[in-house]
Amino acid sequence: MNASRLTDSTISLPVQGMTCASCVSHVEGALSELPGVSQVVVNLATGKATIERDSSRVTIEDMRQAVADVGYSVPTAEITLDVRGMTCASCVAHVEGALTDLEGVTAAVVNLGLGTARVTYVPGPVAVSQMKRAVREAGYEALERSQGLDALDRERQAREEEIRRQGRNLVIAGAVGLLVMIGTFYDMLGPLRSWIPEWLSYKWVIGLLTTPIVLGPGRQFFANSWRGLRHGVTDMNLLYATGIGAAYGIAVINTLFPQAGFGGEGATFFESAALLTAFIVLGRWLEALTRGRTSEAIRKLMKLQPKLARVLRGTAEEEIPADEVQVGDLLLLRPGESVAVDGLVEEGYSAVDESMLTGESLPVEKKAGDPVIGGTLNKTGAFKFRATRVGKETALAQIIKLVEDAQASKAPIQKLADWVAGHFILGVHILAVVVFVFWFFFGYRLYFDPASSFILSPYRLGEIGVFGFSLLLSVTVLVISCPCAVGLATPSAMMAGTGKAAEYGVLFKAAQAIENTSKLQTLIFDKTGTLTRGEPSVTDVLMAGAGEAEPGGLTAQDILRLAASAEKNSEHPLGEAIVRGARERGVEVSDPVRFESIPGHGVEAALQGHAVLLGNRRLMGQRAVDIGGLVEQAERLEGEGKTVMFLAVDGRPAGLIAVADTLKEHSREAIQQLHRLGLEVAMITGDNARTAQAIARQVGIDRVLAEVLPQDKAEEIKKLQALGKRVAMVGDGVNDAPALAQSDVGMAIGSGTDVAKETGDVILIKDDLRDVVVALEAAKATMRKVKQNLFWAFFYNILGIPIGAGLLYPVLRLVVSPELAGAMMAVSSVSVTLNTLLLRRFRPSLRSGRQTQAEAQGPEQPRWVTEPAAGG
Amino acid sequence: MEGEVLDRGIARRAARIYLPLATAAALLFLIAASLGGEYPAVARIGGAVWVGTLSLIVSMPVVTARVKARARRRE
Repeated sequence: MNASRLTDSTISLPVQGMTCASCVSHVEGALSELPGVSQVVVNLATGKATIERDSSRVTIEDMRQAVADVGYSVPTAEITLDVRGMTCASCVAHVEGALTDLEGVTAAVVNLGLGTARVTYVPGPVAVSQMKRAVREAGYEALERSQGLDALDRERQAREEEIRRQGRNLVIAGAVGLLVMIGTFYDMLGPLRSWIPEWLSYKWVIGLLTTPIVLGPGRQFFANSWRGLRHGVTDMNLLYATGIGAAYGIAVINTLFPQAGFGGEGATFFESAALLTAFIVLGRWLEALTRGRTSEAIRKLMKLQPKLARVLRGTAEEEIPADEVQVGDLLLLRPGESVAVDGLVEEGYSAVDESMLTGESLPVEKKAGDPVIGGTLNKTGAFKFRATRVGKETALAQIIKLVEDAQASKAPIQKLADWVAGHFILGVHILAVVVFVFWFFFGYRLYFDPASSFILSPYRLGEIGVFGFSLLLSVTVLVISCPCAVGLATPSAMMAGTGKAAEYGVLFKAAQAIENTSKLQTLIFDKTGTLTRGEPSVTDVLMAGAGEAEPGGLTAQDILRLAASAEKNSEHPLGEAIVRGARERGVEVSDPVRFESIPGHGVEAALQGHAVLLGNRRLMGQRAVDIGGLVEQAERLEGEGKTVMFLAVDGRPAGLIAVADTLKEHSREAIQQLHRLGLEVAMITGDNARTAQAIARQVGIDRVLAEVLPQDKAEEIKKLQALGKRVAMVGDGVNDAPALAQSDVGMAIGSGTDVAKETGDVILIKDDLRDVVVALEAAKATMRKVKQNLFWAFFYNILGIPIGAGLLYPVLRLVVSPELAGAMMAVSSVSVTLNTLLLRRFRPSLRSGRQTQAEAQGPEQPRWVTEPAAGG
Repeated sequence: MEGEVLDRGIARRAARIYLPLATAAALLFLIAASLGGEYPAVARIGGAVWVGTLSLIVSMPVVTARVKARARRRE
């Protein structure tokens, strides 16, 4: 183990063998018990366990052993590297040591003669590129011997193999089960009997047909159950194995020894065993299909990554694996090729399709100095670009990790479902004992009617004895109680939902973010840079004392010059706007001798022998500058939605500057839609109330929190939360981090593609307010799907348990056969699978391409005015 | 190797608890069926086997998990 890793880290391990929610509980329990593990989340749909741990206290090998102890496995993969530069046995030892020092590598065998290193490793914690780097750092060169299969291909292969295996089982169980059914119901087939040989109805023939079904496709349930029991765990396989085994066992006894007293030839129930197996295998096949399909989003993203890159070394072009590109390399891209890594264009011009990552529908023009994103598609021209981010740092890698982490995480609703399913199994077996004992000692004597039959079947129970009848009901309860679809109900919907949202440039960081987003009541938008473009411009410069002697002979140009010089070193958008405005008007901007920024108030500077103050009323009030003569004009400008800054020179008011920021396109449309979704919309800003209200009126915002200091934004959110509201904050993921963190859901808008640095539960890649609506609608659609899936998963159980236990029998004289119970379980899996697939049809309301009236009107434009202010 | 030895020890210790428990449940059923009514032998024995099997399924994982946890704590 690498002894330098002494801090918490999160790793993801693949886990094989899990089939249901109770398996998830067992694996989580086993890993959580390890010292040094602080949190474990296991996702059945992805087949992965995400573990937060102190790597100095628990190793991957410890975790692998813990998983094996409960009957599952962490698979390993193998790769062969060509290693160059080795000359002797000590080189072998160095290379082997370098590789085995990597956490996740379980074995490395180096062959000096062949110049190869065969590495066995756990996919996930360690990547092939890390192995190659480790060998390089040891002083040798390593190349992948064969392209082999990367993690994605391996995962897909495993899923496809599972789908094929269950598909084969289904074909066998279904086809032979059909023959069993035909033979069992031979007497009821009427004229069709002339097509069917009579020997198919003989019990021993039906028994011979049923046997390969139980021992073939049904064998997996017995094998998995035994493995689980040996390790002290129970799962749904146990329910199936008990049910199928009991039905088959009694049928065999009644066929071979009809006089034994188990009900005779009329109670063979071979069709129960056969059809029960077929239906359960159908459910398993559907679950395997669902698991394979719902990770499609990740697969689509991973496919965007090109395998090769064209690097320029001097004047020569060299094609190398994309994962070997280094920061600083100069790459060449031709039309139709995909960008290999993130970079900056150095030479050339083209249009690049970025829709696959950002959802931006139109190709984006790229010229020298523009950034390019790895995974996007070059359309028309050719250009050279310098690599700025490679490997795990690229935008594509960050987005994939974010989506993967979200899909691996668990929503609170899923934790509840898994807990219920995990504890259910033992409860079901206890219920089966209770049902058996009741009907054996009491129920059969009181209620049994030989003329009674199975539900939806004319097949009579005939001469079945007390034991056979009680066993029948007990087995039915076992099968009908099984919540086999529960394990997939929530994760499948979450995966489909996060994947769908990612297509529109909306990234949920965790499943909990989806659940929280769907429950929001209030949305707070930051003003500058969120509702507005964040690029304010100077619109008005007014001098104090119109028509009178101005203080210091200041003109509008002087006011602008002084203000711009004071703000020259400022990073505030308003300050930058003043500097920009001055330069655009040819006003000279000089460096201040002294500069101090006063957050939430303004700036103070010393220049050309004068003390200059530029800021809001609060600043002027604190420094006792009388701005009475400027107030009327200031209020008029603020009523137009502009931000006014007062200028004071040597303690006396000199004038004011008004700055206006334009609203973002689609802002009104987005707010309107949020209202239609039933949300309260608020705006938070450090601006004065008048300006803030004017902006709010333009976009239709209900509530304004104005004059809020940056450090108090989080407090304002807390006040709303104290009123019992679920609050989301939409703002800049870096600058508004405290407010985003305080809110129930923090949405970082306009992150661009550097998603890793953003605080917030939801990342909106594009700078488009409509994506807030997309996020909300996607979250609501996903949670609706989750609840529907859970309903379908539990509905049949809740409905079926009382019926299967014989609750209706005294009144209706009907019982559920074991195979009908199995069919109901298969139907619950079908329901969940089909319902989840419907999420593919999700389309956000504001992305249909239709232009709304608000959009057609466009945002209001500010006007440039220079006039002296009345009064002084 | 040490892990395997530990596992076998745990399995044996657990078996010494859950096997008698399941057998006791089966016997209890058999006694109740023999005393409680005119049940044919096949029904009594079959019922006892079924109750014993289900009791085994219920007790085996519970007892094994507890024995394992106790063994880990001692380590």
